[in-house]
Amino acid sequence: MALSLSNFLLPLLMLLQHGLVANAATVTFDWNITWVTTNPDGMADRPTIGINGQWPLPALNLTKGDRVIVNAYNGLGNQSTSLHFHGMFQNGTNEMDGPVGVNQCGIPPGSTMVYNFTLDQSGTYWYHSHQRGQYPDGLRGTLVINDPENPYAGEFDEEVTFSLSDWYHDQMPGLMKEFISYKNPTGAEPVPNSALMNDTQNFTVSIEPGKTYLFHVINYGAFAGQYFWIEDHTMEIVEVDGVFTEKAAADMIYLTTAQRVSFLLTAKNSSSTNFAMVGSMDTDLFDTIPSTLNPNVTGWLVYDKSSDLPTPALVDEFDPYDDFNLVPTDGMELYENVDYQVQLDLKMDNLGDGANYAFFNDVSYVSPKVPTLYTVMTSGASASSVGIYGSNTNAFVLGKDEVIEIVLNNDDAGKHPFHLHGHNFQAVVRSDEDAGFYDADNHTAFPAMPMRRDTFMVRPNGNFVVRFKADNPGVWLFHCHIEWHMDSGLVATMIEAPLELQKTLTIPQNHFDVCKAAGVPTTGNAAGNTEDLLDLSGENKSPAPLPAGFTARGIVALVFSCVSAFLGMAVISWYGAAPLRSKTVIAAKRRISQAGVVVEDK
Amino acid sequence: MAPNVFAVPVFFICFRECLETSIIVSVLLAFLKQTLGPEQDPKIYKRLVKQVWWGVGLGLLICLAIGGGMIGAFYAYGIDHFSNTEDIWEGVFGIIASIIITIMGAALLRVSKLQDKWRVKLAQALEAKDTKKGKATTRFKRWCEKYAMFLLPFITVLREGLEAVVFIGGVSLSFPATSFPLAVICGLAAGAAVGYLIYRGGNTASLQIFLIGSTCFLYLVAAGLFSKAIWYFENNAWNKIVGGDSSEVGSGPGSYDIRKSVWHVNCCNPELNGGGGWGIFNAIFGWTNSATYGSVLGYNFYWITVMVGFFLMRYKEANGHLPFMKAKGKPEDATMSETSSEHGGIFSETDLEKKTDAHQPTTTTAVREIEG
Repeated sequence: MALSLSNFLLPLLMLLQHGLVANAATVTFDWNITWVTTNPDGMADRPTIGINGQWPLPALNLTKGDRVIVNAYNGLGNQSTSLHFHGMFQNGTNEMDGPVGVNQCGIPPGSTMVYNFTLDQSGTYWYHSHQRGQYPDGLRGTLVINDPENPYAGEFDEEVTFSLSDWYHDQMPGLMKEFISYKNPTGAEPVPNSALMNDTQNFTVSIEPGKTYLFHVINYGAFAGQYFWIEDHTMEIVEVDGVFTEKAAADMIYLTTAQRVSFLLTAKNSSSTNFAMVGSMDTDLFDTIPSTLNPNVTGWLVYDKSSDLPTPALVDEFDPYDDFNLVPTDGMELYENVDYQVQLDLKMDNLGDGANYAFFNDVSYVSPKVPTLYTVMTSGASASSVGIYGSNTNAFVLGKDEVIEIVLNNDDAGKHPFHLHGHNFQAVVRSDEDAGFYDADNHTAFPAMPMRRDTFMVRPNGNFVVRFKADNPGVWLFHCHIEWHMDSGLVATMIEAPLELQKTLTIPQNHFDVCKAAGVPTTGNAAGNTEDLLDLSGENKSPAPLPAGFTARGIVALVFSCVSAFLGMAVISWYGAAPLRSKTVIAAKRRISQAGVVVEDK
Repeated sequence: MAPNVFAVPVFFICFRECLETSIIVSVLLAFLKQTLGPEQDPKIYKRLVKQVWWGVGLGLLICLAIGGGMIGAFYAYGIDHFSNTEDIWEGVFGIIASIIITIMGAALLRVSKLQDKWRVKLAQALEAKDTKKGKATTRFKRWCEKYAMFLLPFITVLREGLEAVVFIGGVSLSFPATSFPLAVICGLAAGAAVGYLIYRGGNTASLQIFLIGSTCFLYLVAAGLFSKAIWYFENNAWNKIVGGDSSEVGSGPGSYDIRKSVWHVNCCNPELNGGGGWGIFNAIFGWTNSATYGSVLGYNFYWITVMVGFFLMRYKEANGHLPFMKAKGKPEDATMSETSSEHGGIFSETDLEKKTDAHQPTTTTAVREIEG
């Protein structure tokens, strides 16, 4: 599939539609979210979530300042849904952020939710369902926001946008059931069936010699991070997650799920050969690597249509560019003085149902009965007290304009990409593998101008420290962007300036209508209690922990076993000590005589 | 650091496996010595002792051959036949062994109550050639009786030996080869020493007290085996569910099926790394750190069955018939004694009782004696 012109036509059409206005436009999308059958890797047909009967989903190419209105109709019939525009700060429009159970209710089949917000940022983003475990079934698409004031404007001739992704042949609800199950006590995540580039496996980009291209690459997979490289070409990174950076030359880039990168690529001056570009799934994450799995996907820079598409060469090792070293072009300096520190200790463990869950500070996230934003809006002065948000939501109340530091300690042997809604954060520390927990008295020097992005990876058994300013009132999730871990509870809720939020935010009636159709309460605390907001009785909770040792049941069983052993031995002794009756002797005699042995009876 | 010449887990594995075997072997040998001692009937005594040692030797030989084959297959083809089938054969052997120990234990205890001369005669009767051709099942039973002293040690050694091979195979990768010989020898020696002590104890104590004590001990082992056999079958099912060897995750969550768990402590695992003292505890009392409904019920029902069995035996000895069953009437007696004469067996309670049920023993016996 050639990079279709539609990527360029769409914004062009929009521009035409809106009279080529350079200033703020309103862009309206009427989306019918439905099931379509797809087969992007040529291996298996499967039901996939499409928009208006199409999949891959529309590639959005908008302009900073645009107002976006999405009328999202759920035509799935069998699942609720939602839309989250990943990386958007949604400043002043927290209710449009999309996470179900946090900022809205799931849109039930047959309902429409209107998302209406302004694009105040530029760069590379994406949109996806934020309904439990849903987007890997197809509901994810690219979003690039152009900026007339892009610091690199004029340095490139054309833009190319495409995605990397893992791909499953089975649907998420079934996979999720197998994943969070007593049958999977080690919490082994389902391994993808293949890797995709631009939602296909034969992606090509037409390249004209001598031109410079701005590539936007988005990993919108469910699970696998991907290494990405282009043979014989150097990539100059200029943006990550919507933050422009000083140019950084890279031969290989690593993108976790949900991360994005833009880089400048200067075409060779003349070439009659074509070049492979490779996405390679990070198999460190996989519990097992099936022999049938090809973890790589190849696309090509096509200089000459008549030439072959070469097979990529094997690489000796994966040595990607370390995004920690990037420097933002806006020169924003390190937040020196931290007002509030949130420490999150990550672990994986089993609960009383035998399944494996993910925990922050020993709490595995469970959605509250009332979406957290609605609790903020209906709790008056109590909104500042963290106790009303439930005991399984890992809630933190952040004060307005405070500098927040999140310390993430990874007590797990896996890599985890963490995403914060509503912000990008300064990456202050990222430890090596196996460094253990963060020690505030002994750490690497903080960078003066830290790299910022909205999704950042922690290394196995390592830690990271990020900082941001709580200048965006709202309820924002902080979670692992591996969909499996998100759904096994690796989520925290940042409730930022709740009293300010009550004053400034108005939730449109449409959102309450959706909740009504879904039968979800919209007032009260996490448990839906409106009288005593600190009363959490009836709230959603995770399964009970595994018993630590002997329970009453175990003690009874052990005592019974001991008693029966002693009784049994008593009976044996009693029998052994009792004299034999003559009748038995007679029987023995007979047995002897039958064998023909002579008995001399004295 | 001193070179590692002593692999502790290997020692414990050898010790516990040898311990179970030597308990059974020494009880049998002490029993033979006390009942048939050289002064009673040296010929038969010798023959039966030989049977015991043949059982030990042959069991050892076979398990060495199978163990060697398995290790060879592992290194030659990388096929790990151990872990795939281990639970199944552990379970099957466990049940067989516990049944044999149970029957033998009851039989030995019963025989010990007979006067000396009767015991000798019984032993002679077992050795004697069968003059009558009975039904196949009867002949099989007779054969089992005759070679019981062979069968029990044979099965025991086979099971324990294979278990040792598998367990040692499981921990062997983490130790250098030099750490093996001393640990194996010490383990076997320690197990054999305990066995020898039991044997000596058995020869000095009165036969009845020794047999009561050792039967209790044997039944403890058998109850543990029975319970563990059920546990192994369940573990096999669990491994199938999780799609791998659940012991890979140690003693922690995921090593057991939460739905069937009665108790589970994340320690004291008798299976991991030889099990240490918990392995010994498991060998003698059937301890497990992860009890299931099946294994607990199995353990208790085993004892209940044993108790009921001994009550019934005693009741029959005292009353001549089972509780709630009238002594059989005269007309049936004739046919009963006819058929039972084909069955008879000292280790078979029912047959023994059938004969006592026939209320005209003296005359019949007399007649048969003449016939013989």
